[in-house]
Amino acid sequence: MIGAVAAGTKTAAKIKRENADAEIVVITKDEHISYAGCGLPYFIGGVIEEEKELVVKTPQEFKQITDIDVYTKLEAMSIHSKEKYVLAMDILEGNVKKYSYDKLVLATGATPFIPQIEGADLQGVHTVRTVNDAINIRSLIDKGAVSKAVVVGGGFIGLEVAENLHGKNIEVSIVEFAHHILPSFDEEIALYAQNYMSDQGVNIYTCEKVISIKGEEGRVKKIITDQREIEADLVIMSVGVKPNTKLAEEIGIELGVTNAIKVNNFMETSIEGIYAVGDCAENVNLITGKPAWYPMGSTANKMGRIAGLSMTGDQKNGLKGVLGTTIVKLFKLNAGKTGLSEREAIKQGFEVETVIVPANDKAHYYPGYRQIITKLIADKNTHKILGAQVVGEGVVDKPIDVIATAITFGAKVEDLENLDLAYAPPFSMAMASTILASNALLNKLAGRMNGINSFELKKRLDELLVVDIRDEASYLIRTIPGAIHIPSEELICRADELKNNEEIVLICKVGKIAYLSYLKLKKLGFQNVRILEGGISSYPYELV
Amino acid sequence: MADFNLNCKGLQCPGPIVQVFKTAKEAQSGDIINVKVTDRGFIKDIQAWCKKTGNELKELNETETEIQVKIQKK
Repeated sequence: MIGAVAAGTKTAAKIKRENADAEIVVITKDEHISYAGCGLPYFIGGVIEEEKELVVKTPQEFKQITDIDVYTKLEAMSIHSKEKYVLAMDILEGNVKKYSYDKLVLATGATPFIPQIEGADLQGVHTVRTVNDAINIRSLIDKGAVSKAVVVGGGFIGLEVAENLHGKNIEVSIVEFAHHILPSFDEEIALYAQNYMSDQGVNIYTCEKVISIKGEEGRVKKIITDQREIEADLVIMSVGVKPNTKLAEEIGIELGVTNAIKVNNFMETSIEGIYAVGDCAENVNLITGKPAWYPMGSTANKMGRIAGLSMTGDQKNGLKGVLGTTIVKLFKLNAGKTGLSEREAIKQGFEVETVIVPANDKAHYYPGYRQIITKLIADKNTHKILGAQVVGEGVVDKPIDVIATAITFGAKVEDLENLDLAYAPPFSMAMASTILASNALLNKLAGRMNGINSFELKKRLDELLVVDIRDEASYLIRTIPGAIHIPSEELICRADELKNNEEIVLICKVGKIAYLSYLKLKKLGFQNVRILEGGISSYPYELV
Repeated sequence: MADFNLNCKGLQCPGPIVQVFKTAKEAQSGDIINVKVTDRGFIKDIQAWCKKTGNELKELNETETEIQVKIQKK
């Protein structure tokens, strides 16, 4: 086994459980094994206080429990697949050791991608991948050496680190090359999260490219983007990771289109007897059936178990694919995603219908309820669910997991709408958020409701007549630029005011009152009315 | 100067802000309006309302289940 974080140790443990006589050696160049890589941001922020909390098992504990030898600080140098041995360098002693195998598992993981820019090697420029990375960053903070930090990259790790640094009273700026943070999410959901983080006091600069990092006496001082200079005494590079495939490539193991190691359902590579698991290996997207790469702890552990079973002779149930389900906590906001985003679905050639529906995570009369916004994406022709994103201060993991389950079993929107989900006021609304979203999407699919989503509305604000039908106070507080105000109760008697307009968009708080008013206007013969999906509470652009 | 106390607990958006809006119309300059609310959308609403109207948000206390604000009419 080469590699000993999640997938490597999981594979080893599973083999041993299936075959107690198996002789297993795990080697890793790292000092730590079996650690919670996803927990590193929280260690930096002190939420997780102790280093030992991050490390699930030490090599000694792992040996004691599993009877498997793990050698740390031992770096695999080359694989000799014909003769079936691996040469590895002992980093401390400096000598080369030889390990023979019948079967070999590559669990070599992924490495943070570091842009080749001036100053990337300065002191104070860090990545967050290993336990030592996190220890180094935290000791800088504990020394009081950090008052301003820049996080390059607005993906999960970057955002989690940003939150944790902010919690340490450090002024944090995020620089993201894409149009918004959370690049894998659709724009309107990502911007909702982005506005939330900005409100918490994190500076966020999107559509910006980091040009260079400047330092003094070898230590980082500021970061230069194509738009500005930002002072920093700590820079976190989190622009993404790439699979570690060098060892595999050297012996001609086939890589997939994602540049990760190509494996079948049982984690077998193109060379017999060699397996690949975890972040170094490719996945299949369950919806498209096409190769995809999801370097996730959840997927890595599954791959490890399947490789272990497969190697010990059980090839009944392989890994058919994954959905790329993810979730992140940003301060008190939670954001989850499963399946394809609208953008990905269109790119994959699907004709999609989507909807955005705000709802609550519990009954609205139960103390402590919070709003959550569901975006549901389905195939317009087959009605199969393609993906979902849920964001809000409330519980989002439940709806995301429900939808992930539904997608896994090939559900249509009609199936989702009729799910019998657990209900009592402390847990859910009587009509759960997922069911409401399905209802709204079916209304759209059946042509009962004509909606416009926020990004389309924003693009076409100059061409459309936006009518805010909420009460006077709400309209005064904030509305969409250019919106006129006709309260819903006056809409019918003032309908003549709207007669000469080409296209009308009704807006309310969440979309419900607008839908009711839309039906009334339809009855009066208006053909040109639409409603703002998700209402003003899901509209992430400028309000006045 | 008068004190107005509004119990808007249990009212959903826009209920609480509509109440504040009405009360502020009746109130005189310098009057205090205390509001208790359970709807969390109110926090952003009241901040934006004060900004727009120039009334002062003197206090905002937030617990898991309740929000209390004190506003002074300008």
